[in-house]
Amino acid sequence: MSNYLQSLPSIAPEIAMTVLLCAVLVVDLLLKGRDSRKVGYLTLGGLGVVAWLLLGQWGELGSAGAAKRVFGMIDIDRFSTFFKLFTVGSLAAVVLFVLLDRRERRHGIGEYYLLLLGAGLGIFFMVSTSNLLLLMLGLELLSLASYSLAGFHKGDKRSAEAAMKYVVFGGLSAGVMLYGISLLYGITGTIDLTEMASGPHSLAAQFSSGPVPVAVAIVLVLAGFAYKVSVVPFHFWTPDVYEGAPTPVTSFLAVASKAAGFAALLRFVGKLFLVDGADGAVQQYGARIGALLAILSALTMTLGNLAALRQSSMKRMLAYSSIAHAGYVLMGMATMESSGWNAAMFYLAAYYLMNLGAFGFVLYFESVTGSDDIASLKGLGAKALWVTVPMVVFLVSLTGLPPTVGFTGKYMLFVAGVDNGLLWLSLVMALNSVVSLFYYFRIVKALFLAEPAERSMPGQSALAGSIFVLAVLTVLFGLYIAPLQAWCDASVESLRLGAG
Amino acid sequence: MSLGAYVAVSAALFAIGIVTIVTRRNILYVLMGIEMVLNAANINFVAFGRHYGGLPGGGGGLEGKMFAIFTIILAAAEAAVALAIVLNVFQAFNSVKPSEADQLRE
Repeated sequence: MSNYLQSLPSIAPEIAMTVLLCAVLVVDLLLKGRDSRKVGYLTLGGLGVVAWLLLGQWGELGSAGAAKRVFGMIDIDRFSTFFKLFTVGSLAAVVLFVLLDRRERRHGIGEYYLLLLGAGLGIFFMVSTSNLLLLMLGLELLSLASYSLAGFHKGDKRSAEAAMKYVVFGGLSAGVMLYGISLLYGITGTIDLTEMASGPHSLAAQFSSGPVPVAVAIVLVLAGFAYKVSVVPFHFWTPDVYEGAPTPVTSFLAVASKAAGFAALLRFVGKLFLVDGADGAVQQYGARIGALLAILSALTMTLGNLAALRQSSMKRMLAYSSIAHAGYVLMGMATMESSGWNAAMFYLAAYYLMNLGAFGFVLYFESVTGSDDIASLKGLGAKALWVTVPMVVFLVSLTGLPPTVGFTGKYMLFVAGVDNGLLWLSLVMALNSVVSLFYYFRIVKALFLAEPAERSMPGQSALAGSIFVLAVLTVLFGLYIAPLQAWCDASVESLRLGAG
Repeated sequence: MSLGAYVAVSAALFAIGIVTIVTRRNILYVLMGIEMVLNAANINFVAFGRHYGGLPGGGGGLEGKMFAIFTIILAAAEAAVALAIVLNVFQAFNSVKPSEADQLRE
């Protein structure tokens, strides 16, 4: 019992999130649905406290051997703290988007914040566990909240359809993944990834005796992850859900939810196949998983970019672009080496910044023009330079041109690919970046190269300000990469060392 | 019964579930297919749990049995959310067939 009490401070951020979630629920009930903005401010304040706790934890984890496992299933290490910090950051941005969305109702939307916090709590557990049961529970907590969020605008047909497509694909992939986990349990007799890699019935021993069941189980689990991060061929839901969901929700799905999926995937593959001093069978299987990821990566980035070329809706275009970006991150993973995984982490961090900014821009212009068509932006570039110039920065970064964080990330991925024998994949990525230039710059063209249009612009200075801050960060981390790179290095290092 | 029999039943249930999801045009059948897939996993968990319960170092097979209990809860929660969403779709489109809800397309 005392052991459990001593472990409680280690999960202080999770406890704080839970308390905040309950507080939001109670306050919303007390307000009786009037003035939900107060609930939003409470959420923002609470997220600030959680971020402060996480920063303290990051500092404590700096000394060697500080990473630990508590309650036998939660890994407290820099890898999980890294993703939790970014999750809190993106949650705060999404809450801000909801608060500043001029088209959103002012009253009776307290559940919005409740569901966002629930999804965030799911991510917290999902990114910090090697126990497949807790992983599954975190994933489902995130998924169930996301389904409801996608259908949040109840009267809106598009929102209803998006939620339906999301819940069907999500339920299917959760079932498939669960079946894969049940097979893994049957093969190894444990649901803990560390024990799976080294226990009495370890995967390594099972590889040599019967490779087929192991391969089936791992492919089924990987399919579940592939759905979450929208990798080909499990990407079909992405464009429809991203287009139909309310824009703040889309930004949450594209950024926090996808990165959480990648975090869990990195930990799953890392714990099983990236073990220091692993024997030949594991390394051989790891190499095969790497080859599989490399092929998926090439397919994902190519299909995402080609499909994005012919979209007229910005949200749909960004959905396909997010599929392409998942391919870039997978490329870093496919190297199965620390350098590639560092690059993948760095790219995920870059992805957070530039995509949040791009969706902020979509939100800004949706409330001006009432639609997210690229054509509706024609000639509006000079009307709101505080938003359109940052958007150019995000697009430059998404394409992967200097001096932005997107360029640095892509450069690191390219080098990691070349160094680890994936030259062909690096070249595919470079070609894909050229293709992406065409569709990203259609937005710039509509904004600045058309006849200036006459339209009154409602003042949205707070939203413009947050977009501007994101653009400054995008450039800042692109020019001054050392801190972010050090954080990624420390995170991957802690993943390799493992905990407990 | 031997372990193999349970695993065979579970594999059959999994296959039936997947076929249901892929071929049915009514979303309620699709949700039933998802439930079948989840329960296929459940049979596996309980059967493997019993198997490892009899082996030294298997931890009494508790992990598998716990997983099965949690999966039942997950399936219930997912059904609740999914049915609420289907109700909403029915109110919007007056149909529960995914092919008739087609506002979102290229």
